[in-house]
Amino acid sequence: MNLSYRVYHVFVRNLVSYKRFVVPTFIASLVQPLFYLITFGIGMGAYVGLFGGKPYLFFLVPGVLMSAVGLTASYECLFGTFVKMIHEKLYDSLIATPVSAEDAVAGDIAWGVFRGLISGTLMMAVAMAMGVFPVSVPAVLLLFVCMIFVGVLFGSLAMIVTSLAPNFDFFNYYTELVLTPMLFFSGVFFPLDNFPAWMKTFSKFLPLTPAVSISRAVFSGVYSTALIFDFLFIVVLEVIAFTIGVKLMKRRLIK
Amino acid sequence: MSSIITAKDLTKRYGKFTAVDGISFEIQEGECFGFLGPNGAGKTSTIRMIHCVSPVTAGTLTVKGLPCSIDNRTIKKTTGVIPQEITLDIDLTVRENLMVFSRFFDIPRREAKTRVEELIKFVELEAKRDSKIDQLSTGMKRRLLIARALINQPTLIIADEPTTGLDPQARHLIWQRLRQLKSQGVTLILTTQYMEEAQQLCDRIVVMYQGKILKEGTPRTLIDEEIGKDVVEIRISQDQDEKLIGSLAGFSCGHERVGDTLFFYCRDGHDIRKKLVELDLPNTVHRPATLEDVFLKLTGRSLIE
Repeated sequence: MNLSYRVYHVFVRNLVSYKRFVVPTFIASLVQPLFYLITFGIGMGAYVGLFGGKPYLFFLVPGVLMSAVGLTASYECLFGTFVKMIHEKLYDSLIATPVSAEDAVAGDIAWGVFRGLISGTLMMAVAMAMGVFPVSVPAVLLLFVCMIFVGVLFGSLAMIVTSLAPNFDFFNYYTELVLTPMLFFSGVFFPLDNFPAWMKTFSKFLPLTPAVSISRAVFSGVYSTALIFDFLFIVVLEVIAFTIGVKLMKRRLIK
Repeated sequence: MSSIITAKDLTKRYGKFTAVDGISFEIQEGECFGFLGPNGAGKTSTIRMIHCVSPVTAGTLTVKGLPCSIDNRTIKKTTGVIPQEITLDIDLTVRENLMVFSRFFDIPRREAKTRVEELIKFVELEAKRDSKIDQLSTGMKRRLLIARALINQPTLIIADEPTTGLDPQARHLIWQRLRQLKSQGVTLILTTQYMEEAQQLCDRIVVMYQGKILKEGTPRTLIDEEIGKDVVEIRISQDQDEKLIGSLAGFSCGHERVGDTLFFYCRDGHDIRKKLVELDLPNTVHRPATLEDVFLKLTGRSLIE
């Protein structure tokens, strides 16, 4: 793995080009959380009553926060990277400079994380405007740390898909058959307690489930030792996904 | 002059397909070296190995004494690449393209700013400094690719078909710039399908075909050795061949029938010219031999003596 500080150069390249897309992506990043929080939080929240003594929104926000980060990082590393690789041939000119293929791919994952953080921040702002606050200021900081881990994990997983994608349509399999269903099996919208045992086991191995558990604990300040395993699971999965994602992308870029 | 690039039995395979088949060559410092050949001859595969974006399958390849490999950042640092495809960053302006690229070489910002302004002037894009890439013509894009390749002040420049799809004005401007760079002592490697381009720019060329080097030499010696000095093209129906070849037999010219034309390749065209006037044939062209004749002879058709 030939990684260097040049990851940062690739990140900056994305930042410079982002200037032109700031407004549309900000609007998208704002509307999406509003949609979730208003429809599910207020609309459905009215029927489900209190969750652990608090309104449904307090249950919903920590989960939606992580899924927003994960989805944004995924989309960036799927569609964004694919366009740069195939249509703009950006990677071809990058690897002819001292920037290595690994630097370039890692720089794009870092960019996906950054985009995820923007989504997460906007989501948090919307939640706070609706009166949903994390338990303390350190909790807010800790949530940002969680977002970074989730961003790297989903960005890396998306890179694996991108490295294998023959065309844009291929991404539909991943977004429609993996990412979207995952939202409903990871305890974002409702607790998993009532699932049959096999489904509970299945959801435990989805990458979003531990992230949502941790996020919810940090948000409410109620911790348990099980969270350590959730965290370790994320870290291990992340290291594996990153390594495979970068390796496969390198194989595709260098012939 | 010392050699800057040395290739020995260089081979590139993609799966079962052999793109470059054990070629050997040396490129001297400060010269312009051309790879000529039809599509799929292995030119691009060869130069991609030289600038370290494609791994060497077998054989050895060194640049400035360093072995070429994917992770050789040292070679990449002092090499400028003008790619065949337009790989500009379409999200950025002309100036931003160069500024962002300067980062990849760790050029300090202040220094980069000066270089970018100089390069924009060098490729005559001052008026387009803040335009986006889709507002540029193909010629402008190619010029910007040259500027981009120079941002790191390379001592080795690799140009992969740098004038494909350009109008004559743009092509001549690019040739001038490339010659200017060469006069500054830069080593230039060029691939091209345009024989005129090779004749204009290259000190030495190799003709590649099916992954192998067929011939190597200066454009002049290749023409002299392979073709001679003069070419006579006679558009005439095939049933006249025998008679015509018979009447020109005394001039020791090679001949070849291609489609509707009978070609004569001559060491010295002086006498045959007189004979042609005597024969008074319509549709006859008499012209000096060019690299294109060499190219066609080596890669396309075989000369029948």
